[in-house]
Amino acid sequence: MNESLAIDLAGQALALARDAGAQSAEASVSIARRFHAEAREDVVARLEGSTGKSLFLRVFRDGRKSTLSTTDLTGEGLREAVNRAVVNTDLVAVDEYAGLPETVAADGAELRLTDPYLIRRESGEKVDEAMELERLIRAADARVTNSSGSHYSDAVAVTAIANSRGFAAAYGWTRVGRSTGPVALDGEVKRTAHYGTAARHLADLESPPSVASTAVSRAVDLFGARKPPTMRVPVIFERDVAAALLDDLFAAVSASNVAVANSWLTGQIGNRIGSELVTVVDDGRVPGGLGSAPFDGEGVPTRRTPVFEGGVLRTFLYDTYYARKLGAATTGNSTGGGIGPSNFYLEPGSRTLAELIAATPVGVLVMDTIGFATEHASGTYSRGARGFFIEGGELAYPIDEFTIAGRYTEMLAGVDAVANDLRFDGPVVSPSFRIAEMTVSGN
Amino acid sequence: MFDNALLAQLVARALRYGGDFADVFCERRRTIAYRLQDGRIHDASYGVTLGVGIRVVAGESAGYACSDDFNPQALNDAADAASLIARSLPGEAVRSVDLSPQRAASFYDGSPDGAADARRYVSLLETADRAARAYDPRVVAVNAHVSDEIQEVWIATSEGRLVRDCRPLITLGVQVVATDKKERGSGYVGDGGRTSIAFFDRETPEALAREAARIATVNVAAVPAPAGEMEMIVGAGGGGVLLHEAVGHGLESDFNRRGTSLYSGRIGERVASELVTIYDDGNLHEERGSLNVDDEGVPGQHKVLVENGVLLGYMQDRLNARLMGVESTGSGRRQSFRFVPQPRMCNTYMPPGEASVDEIVATTQRGIYAKSFAGGQVEIAKGDFVFMVGEGYLVENGRITTPVRNATIIGNGPEAMMKVVAVGNDARLARRHYTCGKGGQYVPVGVGMPTVKIASITVGGTQHE
Repeated sequence: MNESLAIDLAGQALALARDAGAQSAEASVSIARRFHAEAREDVVARLEGSTGKSLFLRVFRDGRKSTLSTTDLTGEGLREAVNRAVVNTDLVAVDEYAGLPETVAADGAELRLTDPYLIRRESGEKVDEAMELERLIRAADARVTNSSGSHYSDAVAVTAIANSRGFAAAYGWTRVGRSTGPVALDGEVKRTAHYGTAARHLADLESPPSVASTAVSRAVDLFGARKPPTMRVPVIFERDVAAALLDDLFAAVSASNVAVANSWLTGQIGNRIGSELVTVVDDGRVPGGLGSAPFDGEGVPTRRTPVFEGGVLRTFLYDTYYARKLGAATTGNSTGGGIGPSNFYLEPGSRTLAELIAATPVGVLVMDTIGFATEHASGTYSRGARGFFIEGGELAYPIDEFTIAGRYTEMLAGVDAVANDLRFDGPVVSPSFRIAEMTVSGN
Repeated sequence: MFDNALLAQLVARALRYGGDFADVFCERRRTIAYRLQDGRIHDASYGVTLGVGIRVVAGESAGYACSDDFNPQALNDAADAASLIARSLPGEAVRSVDLSPQRAASFYDGSPDGAADARRYVSLLETADRAARAYDPRVVAVNAHVSDEIQEVWIATSEGRLVRDCRPLITLGVQVVATDKKERGSGYVGDGGRTSIAFFDRETPEALAREAARIATVNVAAVPAPAGEMEMIVGAGGGGVLLHEAVGHGLESDFNRRGTSLYSGRIGERVASELVTIYDDGNLHEERGSLNVDDEGVPGQHKVLVENGVLLGYMQDRLNARLMGVESTGSGRRQSFRFVPQPRMCNTYMPPGEASVDEIVATTQRGIYAKSFAGGQVEIAKGDFVFMVGEGYLVENGRITTPVRNATIIGNGPEAMMKVVAVGNDARLARRHYTCGKGGQYVPVGVGMPTVKIASITVGGTQHE
């Protein structure tokens, strides 16, 4: 991928913004070549390949900000759109906090963002890999009679950021993923599961046999599932669903939510919120991390920020705007248009998930959730779930069609065991962990 | 904006190794949006999506490539990339395609040629902000946004159809946070549709803002939701989310052609109580999910999915319809030129029944009244769904009583629909703000419903007696 082309395009947008009357501006350009193959049964069900360019521009005039996002980077189309963005600033309120960041920098940190092999990998190999995954799920268990498709996808890309103060830098990155959706049949009951994983380097990616076996066991292990009784018990969140809780936690520590009272953590800095096992970090510098980058969407260097330490809330996560507004310093979490995670994770413990289960006399292991009911203002959580009932430290029987619910204040304070299975296969990740007590609603 | 000869040449080029059909989808979308925060216009944004997607279908396989670059070399490269899917299959190369322009009826309202005077958008937001703050002193934050877009599409197919559609879509959303110092509550209301800003002369920003503020203050006083099985009354309008999740997704033809839905192969079977009839309609005036033509160039239609409890039909796109030996129902939709079409819902709703709402409430002993929903999700194979209550109340001994906060309802599609014991006479479409996600693609949809009673369902709160 061509870093200088991306920087040039960003520079052209800045020049157009200046000509249109912007006093300062910042442009980010990404150019990505994407490939996707889907296999189903013995057929290549889908083959997609494209290169796409996009521009995101922020313009400032007289203390007012407006933005443009466009895929039209041709001369006349771009000029017209940039003009419109600059004119648009007239309608926005003067905001003393709006503007470019004070400090931008591109350092030479080795973050392992690019896998050179993915740049030259043949499409035939990629298609074969999707076909192999599809064969593996069907070979893994006789009850897997169908699938909603097995996928290979990758992207080779460059991201450039330039601003009117003379900053201009770019970095390349790659991403590769495998996923599959086996459908299993046992008598009349059809069950599906979906499992996928991603990495920046092909060599770091979980192998097809392992992806297939995880996906298949998620479908077939749940056969015979019953609806559990309604009860209050310890709940263990398996790694992937634990990560979804961390997504909610990220939203609660995002300064953009805190600033508009849409976070249950508003006003809580310095307070003990979680148990002492709750240490949560946002780190933009994890080598090979899917949330890693040398600088954020404003060109601010990324960094490692402890958000919770031993249960105490240390800081929110900021971009330049919300840092100024709330009287803090940016943590390098700008996405350009808002605030996003770098690698946001809960620090792992030392025990395995199996040991956590063994240490739970009665409880529930949650392996999958559906829904997205979190009220961020009050911090209330509820989800549909499936998994296992735990009795005597063992997985007694599968359960489904129940919900789990609680309040985040009580849930974080109730974290009483954290496993060692953390893995950086997304920007927001978590090891499995146990919450001492939640409401399980079933029969 | 696109030359017909070029489109015809691209369709033919895409079929150079053969294939069952090909289409070229050209899109230009312009979106203007404003956001209010802390009582001030916080930002303005303008977006342009411009590009071409080229698809070749051969049997169950689809090759797809897109380009945001309009130079002939880039477009030819995209056609070539899409064509490869048919290379190893037997089939005749297509030499040329003649395109003839087609016209479709219009179900949209408003001027499709551009955005209104920008000050009018800003004034909607400021009016909403004032109205929400004036509603109740417990209101502490108001976030409002308005977006107005025009999506122009040109679709050329290997059968020679050339269709253009120009789709307006405006949305005004107001989110209000209220607090009594101890508890916080939030409320969201949005409306709009395939119409112009003049819509908000009828559905005023004041009314939307007061509604959002009312929900926020109700939620401040709400108690934790109960846990366990109980009766449920689903509110009119937004209750249609139940149909969308519990039934609608399971009737999309990709899942059914592949046999991965629990509704696969069940046409003609009883799948719901005989009180249940469900339509999906692309032809409703101004609705968010309406389409003059879908993203494959097929006119939008009125579809009877379930009638008196019996499953009558699926929602079809071209690829799956062809493999199932039926016609497309105009349900092929895509998020943008970067995505392949999928069979999707348009506006999904239930017509009125005969019960009065008072009677439904009076006959409910212990249950939950879900007046509005914040969203939902379904697992297709087994049919388990959840939906999230936006505004809910306890029902005790025939009376609606205390508000409850943030309950998730969980059920199984056919089981829940079999337990529909009353359908109200108050059917209406929901306010227009729903967006549906499937396979990473997001499209605007509509829902509607009369008040409906379900005999028992699992409510996922925290209060367990």
